Amino acid sequence: MTDCASCADERTAGATFCEVCGRSLAPEPACPHCGTPGGVGDDGYCEHCGMLAGRERDHLETDCGEVAASVTDRGLRHHRNEDAMWLTTRGTDVDVVVSDGVSSSFDPDVASLTAVQAAGELLVAGDVSAAIQAAQVAVAELAASGDPRRQASNPACTIVAATVRGDAVTVGWIGDSRAYWVPDVGPAEQLTEDDSWATHVIALGADPEQAMRDPKAHAITAWLGADAGKVAPRTGEFVVGDPGHLVLCSDGLWNYLTDAAAFAAAVREGLREQGTLISAARWLADYANTAGGADNITVALIPVSPAAAS
Amino acid sequence: MTYSAEAFQNEFLALGATEVNAIVTVTSSGGTGGLRTSGATEIIIVDASGSMQAEGRIAAARQAAKAAVACLDDGVHFALIAGVGTAQQLFPAPGQLAVASAQTRSEATWAIDRLHASGGTAMGAWLLLAAQLFAQRPGDIAHAIMLTDGDNGEREGYLQSVLDSIAGKFTVDSRGVGTNWKVSELRKIADAMLGTVDIVARPADLTAAFEQMMTAAMGKTAADVQLKVWTPVNATVRFVKQVEPQVADLTGKRVADGARAGRYPLGAWGAESRDYHVCVDVPPGTAGDEMLAARISVVEGDTVHTQALVRAVWTDDAALSTRINRQVAHYTGQAELADTIQAGIEARKAGDDHTATIKFGRAAQLAHESGNKATSELLATVVDIEDAATGTVRLRRKVAAADEMALDTRSTKTVRVGRGQ
Repeated sequence: MTDCASCADERTAGATFCEVCGRSLAPEPACPHCGTPGGVGDDGYCEHCGMLAGRERDHLETDCGEVAASVTDRGLRHHRNEDAMWLTTRGTDVDVVVSDGVSSSFDPDVASLTAVQAAGELLVAGDVSAAIQAAQVAVAELAASGDPRRQASNPACTIVAATVRGDAVTVGWIGDSRAYWVPDVGPAEQLTEDDSWATHVIALGADPEQAMRDPKAHAITAWLGADAGKVAPRTGEFVVGDPGHLVLCSDGLWNYLTDAAAFAAAVREGLREQGTLISAARWLADYANTAGGADNITVALIPVSPAAAS
Repeated sequence: MTYSAEAFQNEFLALGATEVNAIVTVTSSGGTGGLRTSGATEIIIVDASGSMQAEGRIAAARQAAKAAVACLDDGVHFALIAGVGTAQQLFPAPGQLAVASAQTRSEATWAIDRLHASGGTAMGAWLLLAAQLFAQRPGDIAHAIMLTDGDNGEREGYLQSVLDSIAGKFTVDSRGVGTNWKVSELRKIADAMLGTVDIVARPADLTAAFEQMMTAAMGKTAADVQLKVWTPVNATVRFVKQVEPQVADLTGKRVADGARAGRYPLGAWGAESRDYHVCVDVPPGTAGDEMLAARISVVEGDTVHTQALVRAVWTDDAALSTRINRQVAHYTGQAELADTIQAGIEARKAGDDHTATIKFGRAAQLAHESGNKATSELLATVVDIEDAATGTVRLRRKVAAADEMALDTRSTKTVRVGRGQ
């Protein structure tokens, strides 16, 4: 027998709500930091140690069985997850978006969420470029809404979006979130080209290793946001010839696997060791966290096979 | 009444950092239709010591007291105290409070004509009588105006012991007329009683000063508003200061409310906005940790009107942790400005011209940087400001006592900065 803490009514063990006053009798969650039972207040902070108990976006998963899976994780060094993702499937058709908020802007987490929703809802029509442009408009509009500090440092983010229609893959992007094609056998390919300072100077002939070591290496040269102006997304499309996986991710993962071969090796190891897409995606997020978890991590895995020969 | 509270801060801390600063702006819409949520009691204390005969002060004080009575809203309880070597109730009958109406206001006006200057100065006794009268109306908005022109004649320490016993029971706005009173004495009363202090150098200006104080008092619609500050375990509140419209340190007025919270009295509120600087020391976190460093609530009794959160987020990104919040920087400067002026005045009185010059120089610089024009102008009456930007000043050889006292009493007045990061 346990008493309701609110109205002291006795009730049988196992009930979820007090019969008399209707309050929940379920044990309140303990603080994950100091362990105080029932310590977490309505605003998400522990009433004892003050630590934030956690936010919904700290770790999210989308499991579409054998068709697709994605995971986003706060990582270890950032206080919130400013990445966002979108994943919908219809049969074997897949719409997927990954966005990474620019930390130095105000409300970057709102920017990334706005971007994936605006682009994701339009991807069903199959026009990746139009979807990214819609995201650009939606993110730019954030500057003039809500907190006035958004005007001084407007919300900004990257975006990479893709559609899979049978064996046809279309990818579009702005910024440095990436898409890879990882065939089951053979060399992997980075489908996107970062809009970053390093990529820019390497294209102009700088030594790649030296360029990547520069503090400016990861500074992005294109993004979504009110201060980005009108940005034309770059796109690419191809038809798969051999079975493999389309992988979209934010730099929280690829920073630890900078070249395509190392990236593919990690993806294959995850798929081989885990067995399901969602657990492989989780394994890749864990991989980044084990390596330091310096940034938010988002990864989406979509198996694609060539059309059956008729 | 509806209240809102907003916290301005840079929540990002460098690894190992433990000091969290925030400016909390509390704004109230005032009572619905300007109506009070409780009753109100006003007491006017007029110094009637012998020195008030000089410069026509007593006549000006009579006129000012009449003007203040004229400002009383119908239904407000009130009394008048004549301040001499003891406290004598001038109106209504001793131990009574009058209820303001056309008739009682004119009766009070006749009583004021009986006010004659003869006797001593006993601020402790005056305030004690006021406290006894206010005690008849618990829960009222309780406000007193006190006018004096000289030093307190009571034995050393008596005024302080009275203030200790009555602090928080009512608010007192003090005014000194002429230049023979002590700023430090009236400031002590203002600090203890959550009121203001100012100089009225010319007796002719008393009426305007009394009208202004009484009009402001009549605008108050809530009696006893408090700031409740919750902090997590192992955190300590370093200070809580009102920083706008004037600097007032509330740190020592904390009354514990449970294990992790304390209440700080804010006095009576009307439709107005005030800023508070809250500084909390917290245990250090690791990169990515987010802590609620303080939960600030505006409360009246058991009613929580509004809340603002002060957060701490630890990051190894120096670009985030080194950003200085404009509000925090501005009010840190305004508090330093007040302290520096008072230190400068003390040094000058002690004959330490070197220190005084340095302090006034720094004050001129701070006032200039923050756009506090009123304080800049007051400083210019005490020093010649050669270059405000670098803080180069020269002490004036002749300074009018009234100017120096005005600088002293008004050194705590602050200005606001534009909003935004």
